[in-house]
Amino acid sequence: MARSTQPSFGTGKLMRAALYAVLILFAVYYLLPLFVMLVNSVKTLDEIRGGNMMSLPEVFTIEPWLNAWSRAQIGVEPTGLSPYFINSIMMVVPAVAISTALGAMNGYVLTKWRFPGDKIIFGLMLFACFIPFQIVLIPMARVLGMIGIAGTTSGLVLVHVVYGLGFTTLFFRNYYAAFPDELIKAAKMDGAGFWRTFTRILLPSSGPIIVVTVIWQFTNIWNDFLFGASFADFDSMPMTVALNNLVSSSTGVKEYNVHFAGAVLAALPTLIVYVVSGRYFVRGLMAGAVKG
Amino acid sequence: MASLTLDKVRKAFGPVEVLKEINLSIDDGEFLVLVGPSGCGKSTLLNLIAGLETSTDGEIRIGDRVINDVHPKDRNIAMVFQSYALYPNMTVRKNITFGLEIRGVSNAERDKAVADVAKLLQIEPLLDRKPAQLSGGQRQRVAMGRALVRDPDIFLFDEPLSNLDAKLRVDMRTEIKKLHQRLGSTIVYVTHDQIEAMTLASRIAVMKGGILQQFDTPQNIYERPNNMFVAGFIGSPSMNFMDATLRDENGTLSVHIDREGSPISLPLFEAPESYRAYAGKKVVFGIRPEALTHKRSSSDSADSQYVNFDSKVEVIEPTGADTMTVIEIAGKEIVARVRPDRAPTPGESMTFSADMSQISLFDPDSELRI
Repeated sequence: MARSTQPSFGTGKLMRAALYAVLILFAVYYLLPLFVMLVNSVKTLDEIRGGNMMSLPEVFTIEPWLNAWSRAQIGVEPTGLSPYFINSIMMVVPAVAISTALGAMNGYVLTKWRFPGDKIIFGLMLFACFIPFQIVLIPMARVLGMIGIAGTTSGLVLVHVVYGLGFTTLFFRNYYAAFPDELIKAAKMDGAGFWRTFTRILLPSSGPIIVVTVIWQFTNIWNDFLFGASFADFDSMPMTVALNNLVSSSTGVKEYNVHFAGAVLAALPTLIVYVVSGRYFVRGLMAGAVKG
Repeated sequence: MASLTLDKVRKAFGPVEVLKEINLSIDDGEFLVLVGPSGCGKSTLLNLIAGLETSTDGEIRIGDRVINDVHPKDRNIAMVFQSYALYPNMTVRKNITFGLEIRGVSNAERDKAVADVAKLLQIEPLLDRKPAQLSGGQRQRVAMGRALVRDPDIFLFDEPLSNLDAKLRVDMRTEIKKLHQRLGSTIVYVTHDQIEAMTLASRIAVMKGGILQQFDTPQNIYERPNNMFVAGFIGSPSMNFMDATLRDENGTLSVHIDREGSPISLPLFEAPESYRAYAGKKVVFGIRPEALTHKRSSSDSADSQYVNFDSKVEVIEPTGADTMTVIEIAGKEIVARVRPDRAPTPGESMTFSADMSQISLFDPDSELRI
């Protein structure tokens, strides 16, 4: 098998070697920052100051990780990042769930229950994808204040749901546009109503696009800094803002090892999401592209 | 089981009228085929009966019940779709019972119903598979199973065979016909394939441009088409049309075709009275290929009235059973159906017989049958 797929001449092998060399080079290039972060997060502070960023640790310590998680000074409290990690989870999970669910329903209605003006509505929702964050900051602050959820996790959830709706609707609409209308008609003839058709026929076939949407929303909301910094109070501050406070604190010694550990902690959930469902992500994108 | 009546049914999408006053009525147990070229409104008509679209005007009745405003699920109708529309996430069994489940039929009854239908359609080994694991023919059966299991008043078929290959299509056609004979159910079937229409229907409705052209039994439509469209649409190869003049020669009407060199005159021995009015006028002479054959005499068949003429042969197309012979008369290509052992060679001249008992005459302006 292997032999038959490879050209039997020397040039083929040379090409292959060159190809691998380039691939390895790029892999190293992209992995190097992660390597630096991981290596330095398990060194003592003295070793970082005195040594080489690239060298492996002489003394292995998990102290920086523990510090970053539960002891480091964030603002005025020595709480570590853990409460803010919880804040982020409390914000991300409902925001992703609600925006995905609403996006799925929007996609369903916009493709299978067409109504006059549906194209205009979809166009306006698409527009939401292109509005820069900065523009909505002040109006959004007004709205949050008016409905009394300024500075709370619920407020952040609302902001992210509203902002994510454009994307989730776009994803689901395009996916459902390729979903055969005859199936909907068949369900209608079988007696299934609006909800039953959605939950029994469409949703079970939406696996790939749900994964795409969840990954997209999760990474975006988890990584968001601006909304978190603008709309969160101290007790609803998400991970990204806390990490910034940790790293950019101007008092005391700069504990680089703790900063590295904190940064890795902050990146961990998105990394896990990608590793676990990354292949579905690509598959989902492909499915939408080919079938559409 | 029920009869179906469409009374002055109209359908318009905005200013575009896609169905213009359709009147149809079939009895319990009939097999109605709606046939016509794409865009003729036949699928729209089926959707109106199904309740997937609402009519602009007119009345649709099943039995004595007016169903215009009845929800599709309450019409007791089942439909087989062109793409089969099997739910991809469900097994065959679930696909078949989904409708029953929604109607709140008990588990035991559902199991029994599936077993019966699966046996009838011979899909028992497939019940636990997903649609993606089935071949085209198997999907077709499952789609029919889903319709059958509900035991509806009327079955609707929307071009169910158009996605199958030629061989399978013929097999499934026979199967649908057998099923209809066995169950005696009322069926409305949409197709653009006139052969399907002829073979399956107890009555055919030929449509074009949203207008019902003719509604009759297959044989009547074939032998006595209402107009030139129906005549040309039904039958393969289609009917030959020639410009002609109807002449009165000593009391006998004859069809006169002006051909360069030697005009053809085909006497009509038993002309219907309606022809008289067209004596001396231009008509369109229509004759099916099988009525135009190699030289025969009337003694070959008692009911036929053969008239002979000569023509040069342009092309021959053997089909095995018959050889289609293309000749040219007055600038028109005409197909004759010749027995293979009497087939000519292209270029030679041959004597043909036209069976004047099987002809149609049309008004050249209105294109209606005379």
